[in-house]
Amino acid sequence: MEYRLKRNLHSLLDPRTKLLLLFTSSVFVVGNAGEKWMVVFYWVLVYIPVLLLFIEREWKAGLISIAIYVGSYFAQMSLQHDLTALESVLALMLYIITKILPTVILARYIVKTTKVSEFLAAMNRMHVTDKLTIPISVIFRFFPTVAEESRAINNSMKMRGIEMGAKKATEAVEYRMVPLIASCSIIGEELSAAAMTRGLDVGKNRSCIWNIRFGVFDWIILVLCLLCFIWWGIGRFFI
Amino acid sequence: MEKSNRLNAKDLINVGIYTAICAVICCAVAITGVVPIMMVLLVVFVPIFTGIPYMMFLTKVKKFGMILILNILMGALMWVTGMSWYALAVGTASGLIAELIYRAGNYNRKWNGIIAYAVSGIYCWANYFGIFFNADAYFSTRQNYGQEYIDAVTGMLPVWMCPILLVIDIICGIIGGWIGTKVLKKHFVKAGIA
Repeated sequence: MEYRLKRNLHSLLDPRTKLLLLFTSSVFVVGNAGEKWMVVFYWVLVYIPVLLLFIEREWKAGLISIAIYVGSYFAQMSLQHDLTALESVLALMLYIITKILPTVILARYIVKTTKVSEFLAAMNRMHVTDKLTIPISVIFRFFPTVAEESRAINNSMKMRGIEMGAKKATEAVEYRMVPLIASCSIIGEELSAAAMTRGLDVGKNRSCIWNIRFGVFDWIILVLCLLCFIWWGIGRFFI
Repeated sequence: MEKSNRLNAKDLINVGIYTAICAVICCAVAITGVVPIMMVLLVVFVPIFTGIPYMMFLTKVKKFGMILILNILMGALMWVTGMSWYALAVGTASGLIAELIYRAGNYNRKWNGIIAYAVSGIYCWANYFGIFFNADAYFSTRQNYGQEYIDAVTGMLPVWMCPILLVIDIICGIIGGWIGTKVLKKHFVKAGIA
């Protein structure tokens, strides 16, 4: 049986489209530009990340996100009036959750489905300078690692009885930061060695097995984002 | 052996790593901004806590442009997480100034490093531009925060606080940088990682 290489490696969305979607989402959902005028687009943008999760067959994650979002939305609605101090802090936190959750889900989706080399190739296509794309892709690659390392360090510190907010505040911070930075800089050295072995630094154009082209979904999302901005522009400048 | 002045992959990867660490710390501190007083004290705590990784980063900076990229990326991150684009603009400008300060010290002197860090930490202060110059627009999109929160925060931030916050930001940057060099000397120089 002969082995055929999949010559048409292509993911659902082009990385450039994902970035545009992230940008649009953060302007209109987190930033809430054009409040009432953009209501329809707001709801579309909120549910697109969940839709993408479902397309990628991540049923559990999608359902959990819907549950959290709807739950906090209604809880926050019901706390609207006559707030005691504690309730108002709770309402505030719920409000922030409803604001950031869609963008967070979108960011998680992007980080999970974009291969680093695909991302670099797309950035090169857009002629973004190397000096920005390499740090950005390192950040994407590295965020989960930092979270994981700090969780491990927290656990080992708890084992030694150095709780967060225990006796000496300086101790708590120092004994967490220093191991974190030490391990991160070692990981950094290994990362650089691995990257250079793969020819990151040669200075010639990279070839890439991923097919970076726009597909149907890309055009749909592109048109949607453009409509968002045009609609907002109309609302701001013409009404 | 000639030392090229171009930023090579190792430097860029270092920039990415330390930006990630600073970003995680910033987000962790910003989450406590739910309490009104902490929203103001953001300017105090972020410079102090991001001092340690930043000073470590500075020991690896030997070329022009690394501090600038870090600041641009931190500013962009502030923008994407919903804190206005002023952080990006101010971050770029302060990153440039910090670069020049550190270069003037030949990438080696401790105090140049501390002052460079304090200057580049200004992007925290820029987040508050919205509240000072355009309070109604800023809070109109955040109405659901609850009227008491809005009153508490604007009460603590009359316009004359603006330059005071800047001074506090720089001072805490100096404190953070100083703590950073102490920690560096105590732990990392011994281990040879610094």
